[in-house]
Amino acid sequence: MTDYQINREIASELQQTLTRRDLLANSKRPLGAAALASLLGRTTGASAASAEVNGGIAGLPHFAPRAKRVISLFMAGGPSHIDTWDYKPALRKIHGQELPESIRNGQRITTMTSGQKAFPCVAPMFNFSQHGQNGTWVSEILPHTARIIDDISVVKSVHTEAINHDPAITFINTGVQQPGNASMGAWISYGLGSPNRNLPSYVVMISRGPGQKQALYSRLWGSGFLSSRHQGVALRAGASPVLYLNNPDGIDRPTRRRMLDRIAQVNEDHYRAVGDPETLTRIAQYEMAFRMQTSVPGLMDLSSETSDTKNLYGPDVEKPGSFARNCVIARRLAEQEVPFIQLFHRGWDQHSNLPKLIRGQCESIDHAIYGLISDLKQRGMFDDTLVVWGGEFGRTIYSQGTLTKDNHGRDHHGRCFTMFMAGAGIKRGFEFGRTDDYSYNIVENPVHIRDMNATILHQLGIDHNQLTFRYQGLDQKLVGTEPAHVVKDIIA
Amino acid sequence: MLYRTVIFTLVNLLLPETLLLAQSVRFNRDVRPILSSKCSKCHGPDDNQRQGELRLDKENGILNAFDGGLVDSEGWARVNSTDPDLVMPPPDSHLQVTDEERHILKTWIQAGAEWEGHWSFIAPLKPIVPKFTDQSLQQWIRHPIDAFILQHLHEAHLTPNNDADPEVLLRRVTLDLTGLPPTLEDIDAFLADKSETAYETVVDRLLASPHFGERMAVSWMDAARYGDTSVFHADGPRDMWPWRDWVIQAYNRNMPFDEFTRDQLAGDLLTNPTTEQMVATGFLRNNATTDEGGLIEEEYRVEYAIDRVKTTSMVWLGVSMECAQCHNHKYDPITQEEYYQFYAFFNQAADPGKQTRNGNQSPVVNLYDDEKLSQADELQPQLTAIETRLTERSTAAEADFQQWSVDEAVKTANGVSQPTDPVSWIPLDETKGRSVTDIARPNQTGQLNGPEKWTTGHTGNAFDCDTKNWIDMDTAGNFDGSHGFSYGCWVRPQDAGNGSPIARMDLANGYRGYDIHLTDGSVAVHLIHSWPDDAIKIETKKRLTANEWQHIFVTYDATNTAAGVQIYVDGELWESDVREDRLKGTLLSKGPFFVGRRNTGSHYKGLVDDIRLYDRALTATEVKSIAATSAITPLLAKDDSQRSVDEKQTLRSHFLANVDTEYQGISKEKIKLSGTIEELRKPIVNVMVMNDLPEVRETFVLARGNYAAPLKDRKVEPNVPAALPALPADASSNRLTLANWITSPTHPLTARVAVNRYWSLLFGQGIVRSLEDFGAQGEWPSHPELLDWLATDFVESNWNVQRAIKQIVMSSTYRQSSVVTAQKLSQDPENRLLSRGARFRLQAEFLRDNALAASGLLVSTVGGPGVKPYQPDGLWNEVSLDGNLRFQQDEGDKLYRRSMYTYWRRSAPAPSMTIFDAPTREKCAMRRSRTNTPLQALVTLNDPQFVEAARALAELALKQQATTIGQKIRLAFRRTAATEPNQHVLAILVDTFEEELRRFQKDAKSAAQLISVGDSAHDETLDPAAHAAMTVVTSIILNLDQTLTRN
Repeated sequence: MTDYQINREIASELQQTLTRRDLLANSKRPLGAAALASLLGRTTGASAASAEVNGGIAGLPHFAPRAKRVISLFMAGGPSHIDTWDYKPALRKIHGQELPESIRNGQRITTMTSGQKAFPCVAPMFNFSQHGQNGTWVSEILPHTARIIDDISVVKSVHTEAINHDPAITFINTGVQQPGNASMGAWISYGLGSPNRNLPSYVVMISRGPGQKQALYSRLWGSGFLSSRHQGVALRAGASPVLYLNNPDGIDRPTRRRMLDRIAQVNEDHYRAVGDPETLTRIAQYEMAFRMQTSVPGLMDLSSETSDTKNLYGPDVEKPGSFARNCVIARRLAEQEVPFIQLFHRGWDQHSNLPKLIRGQCESIDHAIYGLISDLKQRGMFDDTLVVWGGEFGRTIYSQGTLTKDNHGRDHHGRCFTMFMAGAGIKRGFEFGRTDDYSYNIVENPVHIRDMNATILHQLGIDHNQLTFRYQGLDQKLVGTEPAHVVKDIIA
Repeated sequence: MLYRTVIFTLVNLLLPETLLLAQSVRFNRDVRPILSSKCSKCHGPDDNQRQGELRLDKENGILNAFDGGLVDSEGWARVNSTDPDLVMPPPDSHLQVTDEERHILKTWIQAGAEWEGHWSFIAPLKPIVPKFTDQSLQQWIRHPIDAFILQHLHEAHLTPNNDADPEVLLRRVTLDLTGLPPTLEDIDAFLADKSETAYETVVDRLLASPHFGERMAVSWMDAARYGDTSVFHADGPRDMWPWRDWVIQAYNRNMPFDEFTRDQLAGDLLTNPTTEQMVATGFLRNNATTDEGGLIEEEYRVEYAIDRVKTTSMVWLGVSMECAQCHNHKYDPITQEEYYQFYAFFNQAADPGKQTRNGNQSPVVNLYDDEKLSQADELQPQLTAIETRLTERSTAAEADFQQWSVDEAVKTANGVSQPTDPVSWIPLDETKGRSVTDIARPNQTGQLNGPEKWTTGHTGNAFDCDTKNWIDMDTAGNFDGSHGFSYGCWVRPQDAGNGSPIARMDLANGYRGYDIHLTDGSVAVHLIHSWPDDAIKIETKKRLTANEWQHIFVTYDATNTAAGVQIYVDGELWESDVREDRLKGTLLSKGPFFVGRRNTGSHYKGLVDDIRLYDRALTATEVKSIAATSAITPLLAKDDSQRSVDEKQTLRSHFLANVDTEYQGISKEKIKLSGTIEELRKPIVNVMVMNDLPEVRETFVLARGNYAAPLKDRKVEPNVPAALPALPADASSNRLTLANWITSPTHPLTARVAVNRYWSLLFGQGIVRSLEDFGAQGEWPSHPELLDWLATDFVESNWNVQRAIKQIVMSSTYRQSSVVTAQKLSQDPENRLLSRGARFRLQAEFLRDNALAASGLLVSTVGGPGVKPYQPDGLWNEVSLDGNLRFQQDEGDKLYRRSMYTYWRRSAPAPSMTIFDAPTREKCAMRRSRTNTPLQALVTLNDPQFVEAARALAELALKQQATTIGQKIRLAFRRTAATEPNQHVLAILVDTFEEELRRFQKDAKSAAQLISVGDSAHDETLDPAAHAAMTVVTSIILNLDQTLTRN
């Protein structure tokens, strides 16, 4: 739907209400709260059919969706797949050996390490053990995540062409390495709209661990060429979780209510004179803003969560702005039917001091991931909530800088890395894709980041080739112009 | 043109298929978009994709497929088939022809399948202006524009609206031409002017206003992807605002559009370009650049050229050539070869792939403050006078010199004469203890850390650095680099020579400071503001000898260039390689000055002795004298008669500089004054500009657009696509040729694209709505004849921008009331026919500017660098590299500048702007979406900027000489919405005031809080409760639909 159509739709509902009321009472009473409360009262539980009414595109979803919503846990900076998921006991044997040219095979590497004289392989400096019915190897630095290994599908053969942060993180989030395209959340908002008119259809939260932090950019949750109504709305820790949410000092809630009533009265007067439905839309949006002023702080307030629930996510849950806290809020947003919720967690760029820093990073997410998936399961939401974990690329098997007994770094590596998906029709306790003995190249079932994105859309009932937007003469898609394939093997 | 011969139709595209009458289907408008979007992928210009040797973008192919009526047309049989093996498009293409499209094709084939060339690639001819015999219709027409509009309206059985009310029209045209609301004086003057020319007077005044240029620059900034930061990776700061100033001035001077184009695309290639013409080329340097550590330079150098192709083609030609980067364009007639021919114009740029993280990347031009330059000129005679005194003193001191040279010759055996003005002199002659003496600064002792090691030195004792110990001399040598300085010491490296024997460098702050740094015996000097983007590094080719005493001395002449740094070893200048040469900022750091290491790291192992620092660049002779291999030592030993002229001069210079106190005094005056003059003559800023490499860089087709895969057998020369007019035969192959080609009067696209953009500024949408795409996939123009009329008229007027805009706003079409009836809403829902005046929400910048202007807070200075008004805390460090870049809000006037000057950090732009649809400006954006969302309500209700505006406006209203509250509210309303509130509205607002007054009288604390929002002072003589109550009223006014909207 275009902005114009959406606005017309909102306006026409309001217009009917106005007409009804004028017939009944010919009142000068403001439309305000009472009438709008019933008009905009819908909150949750909207069916797929009503998605169209809520600002999506006609004809979507294309087929029955498995996921009603997505929680994306985006690990910004590029987590090392070698130290977390992609383990093979054979890695121990190559520790300290030079990476054979036959493995690197002339592939480009970043100019941070391309000048290195030596490329010594580094096995993880952590213990790994096998978990779950499938015997999946998991690093000791993810002990809690290991407990839910039977609920997730680990994809070890994800790959990307980008080798540096900015292009890579833009690529995986928008489908193109250069700025200008719409982010995944914006595409989903554009395609499906939002079943909840009190909350944005795409919500972003940002947290950070102890590791080296790369920059983020608003384009990663931006709307690109799509209408800016689809851009992600950042929820932030602190007093004003949505920008400008709070009334100024000196304006209390009853005063604000009175103000909105007066604004609506004057706007109605203006509408009668000019007749532009856009005026009615504006009245409705002001009412929505008023409602958000209570619904959003309510969402951020965890006092109604039981201690059992909070304990699931670990002690960090008490820290505003932590990844753990954001995970609880993500679940609450999911309960409110927000279709795309994305958590950016910063600090994975371990060019040096990797053993210490990645341990800290994992500590900052591990318990919370366990909590999120367990909580979704307990509430019966795991079956229709898709959880995705991963970063923009992986890291090199060889050491960046000097390899010592207990320290080393790793450079960026896009030839292979690991992501996982869980819930919403994804196979449970499953591993997919295989890398070579150096965790350097993919030897089985390569999955491009485009394929991962196509799979996310697929679980939402969207055919990635059919979700398009005409811009610059081209039917733009999230997956770009190259072919993309849904990873059917990980779908149950 | 073909379409002028076709009878105008009753319908437009928005009407449902059932209304589409047989005679109305036209190839370009109705059929070509279907063939383009549904067939061209496999039957288009791309040779690699083409199936069955059929082209449905060319006349032949189309006629072959669809000629012959429904029965014989193979194309129709395929489109209409239900057989999955036959149907077109095939199922695996994921493309489907809709029922409506099928109906259009059918109707078109039945009518004879007539073909037309793509309209926008054919040069426009000036259409005949329609005439109306009906006087009541003709009467409405003020300008040919109106005739074209009326024709379509008439055919749709619609009548245009009358002129809007004067106040509404005044606000509309003032906002459209300046982005600001009219003042009360403007309104009163317009209402009082009963002459025929009243409106034209206003229009002329607005076009002459300095704010016209600002208004036009705002949309050009989107197209030109203007930003104050570099976009990629660290998104560091840059200074491109002088380019923005240039744009504002160009519009204000009414620079013809062809010149405006030529200067921005190729000002650097003009003969003897002016500084302004160089600055104009900043257009092409506004692109996103990277500084990322691991990048491959060529990848990004190519990316910048690609961006420039894309931006240039979108902005001027309304064609995105981007598709052809990887393969032949699937929709428009642009082959991959042609893409790289166009790209070749931009492939010559001199700026590198890796650009600076902090500041401007060369090539740049310096901009100077004319006032300072003339001050410098005024000081010049004083400097000349001092120089004369120096010469005079030199002559007068001759006798003293002769005496000295005799005396000194006697003393030679006892020591060497050396410069006498060190700012620090650390002889390191201690034999024990941790306190270290600086004889030039007797009160400042240093502190030895770590093992206490003293040993025999080059002269006296020396400090023995064992990598565990160092000396902290704290504030010694805190040079900022704005004046010359020199430093050095004796070293005896224990191994080959590694680490820093002396350094004043703060690694935690971008390595700021300076040092001497040894690497396997080679001597490097760093002068750093921020490593590596703002720094100098030179390194000697020769290496030191281990375990021998050697004297290292560095001089720097404050020129910010590597050439101004010299490294002397044992008094001899050593040749160096330049590693970095990009110093701009200060060297001033918290240091401290360390002996034996930097702060932190880079420990040196070996002995250090006799450190000296001077706050001027010593001469080679002086350095030699310190190295004790002084040139004057042997000279003094000679008899005067044996000394050559040069040798005598060497001695004399030494005497004057180091012995003669009077000469030294004058010399100090000279240094001070010349420093002042140098400071005045420094550029205030530089701006990034275009420059081509001296030698042509060859251009090859890149396989699939990949920078690393140039096809060496497919070399191309700069050229333009064959579907467009050819370049002049004898033109040189550079950007200037391209710019001249773009602005050639016969170019089919340039003028159409430009006038369409102006139209969109004034009506909220273009005649072609896809401002950025006039190609086969672009939208069909709502009024093709009008577009061609405006385009040809624009060229005939010699690209006169203000004239083009003036005639549009003078038209009846523009002046219509925006009142809409149910009939018009249903027949012309999106106002494509312009059955009424355009009505749309103000864009982000003008919305805030309107509030600032209404409240009297606006600071309307034109031009200058970006400013940082209020924004919520934490937005920068949440996303910045390392998470430690904090937004520093400005104060005072800078909070109230026009919004176009708001500092534009492209990874995290100002949220009050982006919430109202401002693009990030990372890429060229030709149009903005126009949304209506709850988040926007939160901004205008709660953003301190808007609340402060409300309470400042309330103050203005209350202080107005008026008897009633109603009159005070009327004033606020007029200042904001430029019109009178009607009685009903006024009653609501007066009620509000009274109700809120009662509340605030009971709640003094809330009143005090509300009237204190924002940095500006409030009038404490006003009753706080009344001020707060009126603030509620004015906040309501600032949030009214009619305030937020341009009616």
